[in-house]
Amino acid sequence: MHLAHLRLRDFRNYPRLDVDFAPGFHLLLGDNAQGKTNILEAIYLIATLRSFRGVGGAQMVRHGQKGYFVGSHIIGQGEHDTKMYWSVRERSLSLDGRPVRKLTDYLGVLRTVVFCTEDLLLVKGPGRGRRRFLDLLLTQTYPGYLPLLQRYTRALRSRNALLKQAAADPRALEGFSRELVSAGQEITRLRRELVPRLSPLARLAYRRISNDAEELRIEYAPSVRQDFAVELAQSQPRERTCRMTVIGPHRDEVQLLLKDRSAAEFGSEGQKRTLAIALKMAQAEYLTGIHGSPPVLLIDDVMGELDAKRRGGLLPLLERAHHAHGQVFMTATEENWPRELAGQVQRWTVKAGALERG
Amino acid sequence: MPALPDTVAALIGALNKLPGIGPRSAERIALHLVQAEPAAVENLARAILEARRRVQLCAVCGALTEASPCALCSDPRRDAGLVCVVERATDILSLEKSATYRGKYHVLGGKISPLNGVEPEDLRIAELERRLEAEPIREVIIALGTDVEGDATSFYLARRLARPRLKVTRIAHGLPAGSGLEFADEITLSRALEGRREIE
Repeated sequence: MHLAHLRLRDFRNYPRLDVDFAPGFHLLLGDNAQGKTNILEAIYLIATLRSFRGVGGAQMVRHGQKGYFVGSHIIGQGEHDTKMYWSVRERSLSLDGRPVRKLTDYLGVLRTVVFCTEDLLLVKGPGRGRRRFLDLLLTQTYPGYLPLLQRYTRALRSRNALLKQAAADPRALEGFSRELVSAGQEITRLRRELVPRLSPLARLAYRRISNDAEELRIEYAPSVRQDFAVELAQSQPRERTCRMTVIGPHRDEVQLLLKDRSAAEFGSEGQKRTLAIALKMAQAEYLTGIHGSPPVLLIDDVMGELDAKRRGGLLPLLERAHHAHGQVFMTATEENWPRELAGQVQRWTVKAGALERG
Repeated sequence: MPALPDTVAALIGALNKLPGIGPRSAERIALHLVQAEPAAVENLARAILEARRRVQLCAVCGALTEASPCALCSDPRRDAGLVCVVERATDILSLEKSATYRGKYHVLGGKISPLNGVEPEDLRIAELERRLEAEPIREVIIALGTDVEGDATSFYLARRLARPRLKVTRIAHGLPAGSGLEFADEITLSRALEGRREIE
């Protein structure tokens, strides 16, 4: 799968951009604030309809303009055209010339894995980021997951609204509890199945890129131990004091353990950084295993943060993507790009919202 | 470009509030109306006023009607023992098109939705309970949507309406008629499996 054409209009600092990309390595070189990461952001946006910088649509519109347009031509098992327009008043998304009605029909047209500095939050940040990591992976591999998650979220928010009321009808609460339980149990089951498959991949990736011999393990710590319905009923007194739903998949944790100790608490900064990259590598490996072709890798400057030895650990992943006719986009500055890749890269120069070969 | 006359702008604003009519359509309709034959526009205005004046909600079932109780409620050929609960008055039209249901109806006027501030008291449930006392109803068929609110409301109704010698049922959900399994999503399929029936 690869992105064959990218078209931007008033996106970030790009007034107009039309560019063709072949499969393989693409190195986007340029000084800071020239728009290297914006290219990665646009590609990630095509794949997930979100920015990996965690911002809304308004921030991605070029300064002083009304809206942005991002279009692409993607070649995978079939060929697809995507078009996306966003403005405060209007937004549209189309696939192959037809408006997208269901997100599940759209997601999966392009699969990406992004490596960026924000990944460090996967290790250091709150559980929410780790749950989203699992959710994104399940959305990319299991078509029913997104509607399930949306159903759960709707039931959860409804239930919380009821719990905030002074005298909510207990039968109405029970109605939403049933919805919460039926969607929640399915989510827990899918996450429980995913983590043991991911853990060995992450351990392997970690060993490959780390300088230390510590063993990495990922463990799923679900909020619900056995029976969601029973435990939800038992949590009632706490619910009444907190006035919200206190157990369920929205409270799940994913534990990252180095030698059986929490990496967030006991790991060094270097270990945390390596661990974040290992998680993303595991994500890429997992997607490749499921779909038979590697996702498009978007690597934002993280190579620069790694020393040569750790960088070497990433290479097999990149080379495999190369052999499988995959695609890698990597941003770097002139000083820190990985010279060991020199033979295979296609170089681009990014300057003030324009992209040039060489 | 010269601005539109105020009255036209006001008309566009009013049309834009209608369902399914965006700013562009509103403008097109408004410009059409102000240039059309006065008689045609008067006819349209009269038709709108007349329809709005005459149409009301049936005091019994909540359907749209000109006379209360409505034709559906007062039709002696319909089975008075069956009541089908729907969310909106327009749902009755959909069910009537299928021409297989011969019972009566009850419009709820919404579904329980804590996120939109809709509570059970905001729905026509008490009216339904009064009908259960007054009419010879043996079965209540719940025909609400299958989103989270629809399902939760169905469950709520089943609990609240439960009484001796009354059957509360829910319409089946599953595969759309005439289509293959490959077009059904996972949630639909798992519900279709749950609701399976023995072949007689």
